[in-house]
Amino acid sequence: MGRIIVANRRGHQVVDWNTTDTEEARQTIQEAERILDEARAAGCAISKKVDGVHVLDHGRFDPAAEEYQIIAPIAGG
Amino acid sequence: MAGSFWRRILGAWRCFSPAETRPLADSGLAAPPAGSDDARLELPWRHSWEHLPKRTAGFGFTHRDYRSARRRAEEVARLTLGDDLWRRLGRDGHLDLPSRRYLGVTYRLRVGLRIEVLTAPGVALPWRHPFLCINPTYPLPELEFFAQLYLYVRDNEDEVIRVAAPQPWDQPLGRTF
Repeated sequence: MGRIIVANRRGHQVVDWNTTDTEEARQTIQEAERILDEARAAGCAISKKVDGVHVLDHGRFDPAAEEYQIIAPIAGG
Repeated sequence: MAGSFWRRILGAWRCFSPAETRPLADSGLAAPPAGSDDARLELPWRHSWEHLPKRTAGFGFTHRDYRSARRRAEEVARLTLGDDLWRRLGRDGHLDLPSRRYLGVTYRLRVGLRIEVLTAPGVALPWRHPFLCINPTYPLPELEFFAQLYLYVRDNEDEVIRVAAPQPWDQPLGRTF
C-alpha cells in the first residue's frame, strides 16, 4: 500500500494505491502513476519518501514506494 | 521564544471541533470533513489561480475551511520535515540551509515569509537584495509551502536561484495563507 499526498489549498488530500495482485489494485496503481505524470507535466516537483525522509525525486513511479508528495511549482514575486 | 512562535503560527489553528480531527484509517493524516466540498480530490495544477486576492484560498472558503486546511498542512509539514527539523523550527522560528552553489551563503527559511539570505563575514550577497520572494503557483497553507520550499532549497537549489525575485524588504508571501 502506498500513497500520494496531494498538497492543495485544503492542506492536502491523499491518493492511495494497492499492490495486491488484483485488477482493482492494478487500477489504483495506474491512477496513481497517471496523477504523478500529470503533475510533473504541469511543472510540479515530486518528492519520495526514502529511508524515512522526503527527497525530491526524478525517477519513474515506483509502486513499491511508501509515499510520494506532489510539490507545487514555484515562481518569483 | 519558541512558545511565542508556535502560538503565533499555530494558535489560530487549534480551534476546531473533535469531528474535524478524525484521522484517516490508515494514513495517519486527517480526513477532509465528510460531505463537504473538500471530500473531492482537487488537483490544483489544473486550474488558474491568478484571479485570487493575495493570501486567500478562493471565494467561498470559510473560516472553518481555513482552520481545517492549516491543521492538515501542519501534519504534512511535520511529516515532510521530520521530527528533528520540526523541533528546530519550533525552537528557533526558522530553518537555515547552507547554499551548495555560493560558498558562505545561508538561506534562512521562515514560515509565510520571504527567504532571508545571510552571508558569512567578507562574503558578498549573490543578489542585489537580501530577501528572495518565492511563491507556489497555486494557493497553499503557509506551513505546507514552507516544507516544500525547504525541499527545493535542499534538493534543487538551481530552481530556487532561477525563479527567485530579490527584494530589499521582508514581507509575507502572497500566494500562501
